[in-house]
Amino acid sequence: MDKPPATLHDNRLLLLKLLLLACVMFVFAWGLIPVYDALCRLTGLGSLQRPDEVGSQRLAATPLAPVLLTFDATVQPGLPWQVRPLTRTLRAVPGEFVRVDYEITNASNRQVVGQAIPRYLPAAAAEYVKKLDCFCFAQQAFAPGETRRFPVVFVVDKNVPAGLDSITLAYTVFDVPGRS
Amino acid sequence: MTAIDSALQPAHDTAHGHHAKPSGITRWLFATNHKDIGSLYLWFAFSMFIFGGVLALCIRAELFRPGLQFWQPELFNQFTTLHGLIMVFGAIMPAFTGLANWMLPLMIGAPDMAFARMNNWSFWLLPPAALLLLISFAVPGGAAAAGWTLYAPLSTQMGMGMDLTIFAIHIMGVSSIMGSINIIVTILNLRAPGMTMMKMPMFAWASLITAYLIIAVMPVLAGVVTMVLTDRHFGTHFFNAAGGGDPVLYQHIFWFFGHPEVYIMALPAFGIVSHIIPTFSRKPLFGYTSMVYATSSIAILSFMVWAHHMFTTGMPATAQLFFMYATMLIAVPTGVKVFNWIGTMWQGSMSFETPMLFAIGFICLFTVGGLSGVTLSIAAIDIQLQDTYYVVAHFHYVLVAGALFSLFAAVYYWFPKMTGRMYSESWGKFHFWWSLLWFNVTFFPMHFLGLAGMPRRIPDYNMQFTDFNTLASVGAFCFGLGQLIFFANMLHSLRHGKPAAARPWEGADTLEWQIATPAPYHSFVEAPDLEVGENGRIDAMHGGKHH
Ligand code: HEM
Ligand SMILES: [Cu+2]
Repeated sequence: MDKPPATLHDNRLLLLKLLLLACVMFVFAWGLIPVYDALCRLTGLGSLQRPDEVGSQRLAATPLAPVLLTFDATVQPGLPWQVRPLTRTLRAVPGEFVRVDYEITNASNRQVVGQAIPRYLPAAAAEYVKKLDCFCFAQQAFAPGETRRFPVVFVVDKNVPAGLDSITLAYTVFDVPGRS
Repeated sequence: MTAIDSALQPAHDTAHGHHAKPSGITRWLFATNHKDIGSLYLWFAFSMFIFGGVLALCIRAELFRPGLQFWQPELFNQFTTLHGLIMVFGAIMPAFTGLANWMLPLMIGAPDMAFARMNNWSFWLLPPAALLLLISFAVPGGAAAAGWTLYAPLSTQMGMGMDLTIFAIHIMGVSSIMGSINIIVTILNLRAPGMTMMKMPMFAWASLITAYLIIAVMPVLAGVVTMVLTDRHFGTHFFNAAGGGDPVLYQHIFWFFGHPEVYIMALPAFGIVSHIIPTFSRKPLFGYTSMVYATSSIAILSFMVWAHHMFTTGMPATAQLFFMYATMLIAVPTGVKVFNWIGTMWQGSMSFETPMLFAIGFICLFTVGGLSGVTLSIAAIDIQLQDTYYVVAHFHYVLVAGALFSLFAAVYYWFPKMTGRMYSESWGKFHFWWSLLWFNVTFFPMHFLGLAGMPRRIPDYNMQFTDFNTLASVGAFCFGLGQLIFFANMLHSLRHGKPAAARPWEGADTLEWQIATPAPYHSFVEAPDLEVGENGRIDAMHGGKHH
């Protein structure tokens, strides 16, 4: 081989270069902070730096026309339930919180477990009724003859189409077999 | 001469002529001989392997059945964290550095590592770091419990165990950077005449590239844990959302280190296997040049895939797609390697001594780990599987059956050269088959657990996961037991093994097999003149003195 053997000096020079590389990479780690920050701003990903827009949106929005809400309930023949909405109708502006109560009675003399299933009229309205709380979220156990009241809390979405000015919310309660 | 200057002085000065081997504790404490330092590294790594293994068994004991049996969840989390940290930084990485210390000068015809005293430093930094981790169990609040990834905000909140861990990481980082500098300078500057870069053995190539990876990413890890430290004590808010920081930033910086780190544990394994497979197939390595390029491209690609660990952090879909395809791309050079190893064995006259068994076990099981890796790289699947036992199965296939098996293969392969004695072949084979069986019993069921949704890093689990967990725990204890066989075999053979020939393996053709066995304490004090073929095959050697 023609290359002369490396001297101590060559070795040290290489050592210094490698040390420098290590230092550069240490600095690089800190350099990632502004890079990350800039990338987030650029792509709009940094939700931390974005101003809170939700409140201002609400202020700016023009008042929407109220929607007529109707509440109903049905029970299939032969089942032990009595279901009654305590409010029949009301008008609510989209975006406004609505709370109504339902009263459910177990008219039989045994312990039963029920599951309420909601239905919307027109069916297209379903996606605009945003429920926060509902007795239909869980199965409910009833002692013989027990009566209980349940709240339904929801918001009509602000994006509800202008033509949709009347929504009916109806519940049917079923037995859950094998669970008592 | 300043202290630094003298630390850089090669300790081995041929002008002195006469070299008594130092004896007693000072031989080790002030060791500058690459073989002594290599042995120190290997012993240290083995003891850390036992320590980390005991922690793993503490984890598996708790998971033997559902419910809390032995440990409180806090302690359990400390075990998983320390198990991971100790295996990665205490066992696997030092073991590879130790092997590189022992073998590189012998393989390339150098008298020693380039900076012998710095070499001593890089080793002796490790025991204090390990000690810090050990005593962190005893401080108020216990050891770090945030997982080996030390994610913020967990790591910015814990007790002083976290500070000790950060300090230990700093020390281990400095140690591995110094070790890597030594490896690079030795390989680039101290090769004997005739040993050109594109001829040198694969283990030298792998060590060289790994050393560059270490220098590139260990400082990044040091940087990010320093940010954690300043967040903890100096009122900065790098990762604190309340102060305008972002915990996801931690993950980006950590994994910029973290993914190259997995190749730091894999590339040297590839190098070792690229020696053992040709030796016991009695054929040259198939596709040497493509091996070199594959290794380099894996190293480069490893910097571009870090966010595959972060698919669930709410990245934009385009970023997810980029990291997904980039990750899959790494399977290509890896596949080239597996193909070449199989091509080497093809029509070779193979024999199956212990190193070969471990090397073949490595190829088979590493490929399984690679396959589950490609599965995880698919963003849509990873979102389901991330932080489940599927991931634990995946990385133990590449770390235990990959890195660890290759280390066993290497120790068996070079044991004769290091000690002058043969290990017990029958116990070696038993160790292999035993480990192979119980490794799979331990880790294969973890795939199913993960697919069924069992989360990782939990001390208790749903009843439905009981059977596979019990199986995995039984497997882990048997696997652990098997490592005592390895230990006993090594200890016994060190004293009582049959004397080994200079070239105990018929097919071994690299430089270290051209010199006496055991390797003379000062080998190649005068560089030999070499005629070298690919993968370090020595065709002729002239000169070269040892004493
Ligand atoms: C010797 C047999 C081993 C057994 C039985 C074992 C077992 C385990 C177990 C049970 C976990 C915890 C999983 C969890 O709860 O998330 C774990 C985590 C881990 N292991 Fe191992 N392990 C072994 C060897 C290794 C080796 C050799 C490495 C090499 C680097 C390693 C690296 C890790 C890492 C990085 C973690 C993740 C720690 C974390 O979650 O932060 N293990 N191991
Ligand atoms: Cu990765």
